[in-house]
Amino acid sequence: MTAQTIQKSKNGGRLRLWWQSVWSRFDDVPLLGWLIGALVAVGLEYAVGRPFAQLLGMRKSPALFGFLFILKEPWLIPSAIVYVAVMTILPIAALAKATASFANKTATALLRASTLLSVAVHLILLYAILYIWCDILPYRLIVVKLTLIAIVITLSLNVVNGYMGEFSCSHPGFISLGAYGASVVTILVFDDPSPWLFPLALIVGGIVAALGALLVAIPSFRTRGDYLAIISLAFTFIIKSFIENLEFVGGPRGLGGQPNWASLPVVFIVTIIAIWIINNFVRSILGKALNAVRDNEAAADAMTVNTQRTKMTAFLFSAFWAGVAGGLLAHVLAFINPASFGLQKLAEVLAMVYFGGLNSVVGSIVGAVSLNLLGEMLRPLEIWKWIVIPLMLILMMIYRPTGLVAFKEFDIVALLQPKQTTKGEQ
Amino acid sequence: MNKRILVSILLLLVLSVLLAACGGGGNDVIRIGINAPLTGDNPKVGEGTKYAAEMWLEDINAAGGLEVGGKMYQVELVTEDNEYKAESATKANTKLITQDEVLLIIGPQSSQQAVPAGGVANDNKTPMISPWSTNPNTTLNRPWVFRTPFLDPFQGPVVANFATEQFGATKAAVLYDVASDYPKGLAEFFKAAWEENHGAGSVVAFESFTTKDQDFSAQLTKIKESGADFIFTPQYYSEVPLIVQQAHELGWDKPIVGSDSWGSAELVNLCGDDCDGLFFSTHYAAAGATGATKAFIDRYNEKYGYVPDDVGALTWDTLLLAQQAIQDCGEITGDLAVDRQCVRDALANIKDFHGITGDMTFTPEGDPIKCAVIVRISDAGEFEFFEQVCP
Amino acid sequence: MTYFLQNFVNALQWGSFYALIALGYSMVYGVLLLFNFAHGDIFMVGSYIGFFVATGLVGLSAVGVITLPYWLILVLTILISMILTAFVGMLVERVGYRPLRDAPRASAAITGLMIGVILETLNLIMLGAERYKFPELLQTEIYELGGVSVTNKKIMIVFVSLLLMYLLNLFVMKTKWGMAMRAMAYDFAVVPLMGIPLNTIAALTFGLGSALAAAASILFGTAYPVMDPYMGVTIGWKAFVAAILGGRGSIVGAAVAGFILGFIEIFSASVFPSTYRDLIAYSIILFILVFRPHGLFGQEHTSKLRL
Repeated sequence: MTAQTIQKSKNGGRLRLWWQSVWSRFDDVPLLGWLIGALVAVGLEYAVGRPFAQLLGMRKSPALFGFLFILKEPWLIPSAIVYVAVMTILPIAALAKATASFANKTATALLRASTLLSVAVHLILLYAILYIWCDILPYRLIVVKLTLIAIVITLSLNVVNGYMGEFSCSHPGFISLGAYGASVVTILVFDDPSPWLFPLALIVGGIVAALGALLVAIPSFRTRGDYLAIISLAFTFIIKSFIENLEFVGGPRGLGGQPNWASLPVVFIVTIIAIWIINNFVRSILGKALNAVRDNEAAADAMTVNTQRTKMTAFLFSAFWAGVAGGLLAHVLAFINPASFGLQKLAEVLAMVYFGGLNSVVGSIVGAVSLNLLGEMLRPLEIWKWIVIPLMLILMMIYRPTGLVAFKEFDIVALLQPKQTTKGEQ
Repeated sequence: MNKRILVSILLLLVLSVLLAACGGGGNDVIRIGINAPLTGDNPKVGEGTKYAAEMWLEDINAAGGLEVGGKMYQVELVTEDNEYKAESATKANTKLITQDEVLLIIGPQSSQQAVPAGGVANDNKTPMISPWSTNPNTTLNRPWVFRTPFLDPFQGPVVANFATEQFGATKAAVLYDVASDYPKGLAEFFKAAWEENHGAGSVVAFESFTTKDQDFSAQLTKIKESGADFIFTPQYYSEVPLIVQQAHELGWDKPIVGSDSWGSAELVNLCGDDCDGLFFSTHYAAAGATGATKAFIDRYNEKYGYVPDDVGALTWDTLLLAQQAIQDCGEITGDLAVDRQCVRDALANIKDFHGITGDMTFTPEGDPIKCAVIVRISDAGEFEFFEQVCP
Repeated sequence: MTYFLQNFVNALQWGSFYALIALGYSMVYGVLLLFNFAHGDIFMVGSYIGFFVATGLVGLSAVGVITLPYWLILVLTILISMILTAFVGMLVERVGYRPLRDAPRASAAITGLMIGVILETLNLIMLGAERYKFPELLQTEIYELGGVSVTNKKIMIVFVSLLLMYLLNLFVMKTKWGMAMRAMAYDFAVVPLMGIPLNTIAALTFGLGSALAAAASILFGTAYPVMDPYMGVTIGWKAFVAAILGGRGSIVGAAVAGFILGFIEIFSASVFPSTYRDLIAYSIILFILVFRPHGLFGQEHTSKLRL
């Protein structure tokens, strides 16, 4: 048995060594280089993806790396692997490597010019990649939009459950308040609304959610402890019942026909703004105060932190962004009903936060993206999907109890830095 | 290292082309999407849909494919689970339309999913036929959306008139799920119809609960107190046994009437003797059926071991309807936009379709004009034909 | 008056279930400071175990292998499924909670949630889409008492629930094990140093809670005989509200809060239009918590502990 174990660990070790050796070749590739590689790769797929896929025997390009069909048509597995390798992995790797020195120089120059400029260039590249990638297959579009929205939702919940260290269950309520608030503005208030109204509608959604949060915050922050958990849970029940009884928004039948304004650029921009503001918030003095409150409220109080106000602000802030995300969601789906914002939504949102990692902006992004993509990619498993995903989450909790990327600061400048080549010029 | 990677990729390439050549079908495939609740709160509905679709596909395959304009086409069914959730149903429809490129979509079944999903189909100009959704909003102002069952504005008055004549009732009570599209809609149509006949305030109790509730004692006590002559409860077969049983335990001995959502063989299993002698309105009566209806029921029963629910029968009709529309179209060009338009137009023009749940002709709105059936649950637990009501 | 009394009887039955399920949450919460979100689904598992035990026993008596009267089958079903479900609960603790003993509490809550989803899905995969009907072990008899309908089932449910609660209280207050549990609830960090085996107590707590949930599920099956894989979700979350409402670590508190929640729900549906039931019922809960922020019977505890 011991021999076997050693063998196993040896194999694992060899695999890891190989992986490290492959990875180390890309040490000198900065983020900019990866983005350039990805841009070229999606461009390639855009140009020749479909004929190439048909050459490989597939009807069209695989939408999500082939996961959608390989279970039902296993003979296409090699085709999918080849497709992903040729269309995605190889071009990205090759170009990232090839342009490494150019990318490093550019990244240095950009950062020297201005951080803002550098951020803008990276974001424009990222957007271009997403845009082309979605343009190849329309199905990807809805997946990407919902994933971006999930990022905002997860981030906002992380402010309360991670940074503040409470256990709040009221996010479904906030999302639905935001969704209904924004929809009321775009459908019911104005007869012939112009798209310029959309930001206003989203802000209204956020404010409605924040007002709802006040209802939770006032009773629950009177004391320390787990009472937020049930007050927020009761709040979720109350909001659902409340909307079911609001006839002018359709009651249980839901509200449909939202104008088609939540296009990819809009969702993308709102998501970036949300990430930016939330990241600044948690890194601000208020964010530090929040962490102090989490770790020891009495001590924080003694250190002149106004704990009540800190908690209140953070909670309303979190609810506001959940509301904005809700407004986006309503306009992406063009239909909302109270039943969508029940206990199942709660489980979904909590899973994304804790999977990604507490107290971490990167973690929330990772959590939202990975669980959303997994959810779509594992669709063909049908019912087994609901065994596989929970199992993964349980294993994650056991081996990394705080989530994938927990307690990490999101340092944008470090991310954009050029990578120093360790091996020198080739 | 690089050489090895290159060689393995080349090998994979050859392998994949070979495999794909063996496994992949040709171009002459018609894809039909099925959007059904395989998991979630009502998996039985999804099961009935799936089974009926499998039987239909069996027939098609036995005939060597579907003949359109003198050419044989293979048929592929793409089934998507909507988890009995509105959000999932719209996502599933988007996937079927854009990713799987289906010619048309069958489903979703419940109005709760069919209403939002219909919007997606209509926006994407893809024909969709819901076999079970009776809420008017599903097809309202949506030229691309059709259905095979009758509508709630028709069913409501049918039940109201039946109760007036059969029980001589003047005061009605309604118990419904406020959080679900179908029961709420039907409850309101029934109320309107009843009050039109018997005057305002003649619905003496209009009580509701929320999806997944199990205790209805408070509402039923209120109803008993109100002095109603009967209860109308347009609920799903899994909730009806609880309602009926609790009513009886509270000393209720007057009639309880239901709607087409009662129509499942499981109702009798779950309800036992409590449901004997109750009436409900539905699409077809399984007991005493004749002709094609009987043939379908017998075949289904033999294959899956139970009498099909009305969902199964309606799905079967829907698939035959789709088949006829595709064949009426005359030609599959391979250009999806053209073919979808063609199927939609063919659907709208179908006259006197003979389905196993009755004859249908479509209104411009995409709704069939067809008859409803009142069924009595016999002491043996069978759904006996009682009377037919035609518009 | 009869209207009020009738609803009082209804609420007594409905509250019994909340109370029994809330006890399971409350014990785990009191002793280990964890939210056991799998508890609602353990209730569901208990119900299906009860279904198979009861069907088996009825079948055996029908074939004539053993001859048992139905009331005895009911008692046996309750006892056997309590024991079996207790093992399920301990298994959940072993798999989902023990590895996370030193992790943030919220992580354990997520594992619980996910174990619940797995239990539901496994049930759906193994038993299919069919709904099952809980066997009727007690022939319903309806008594009219001055206009109020009472069934023998209602009486049995309330009586058995109260009995179980009394026995649990006795166990926790009078036995050595119970004392260990109370000590643990008092101070989680120091008590294991006194030689009290933490793992055993944790397993015991989960086992006891699950056994109560199983008993509740069998009683539930006699009154609401339609079973489905998701039957524990809503009632579980609501019982969780009751458990916390009762106050941390208070058995009496959880039981009382369970009944209170039952009464609030039934009476808000019967006094106001029933559409507003959840809105009104949970607003009342919110209101109670504003004035009793530590729950009905809880003591003030400011420590957030380990989160």
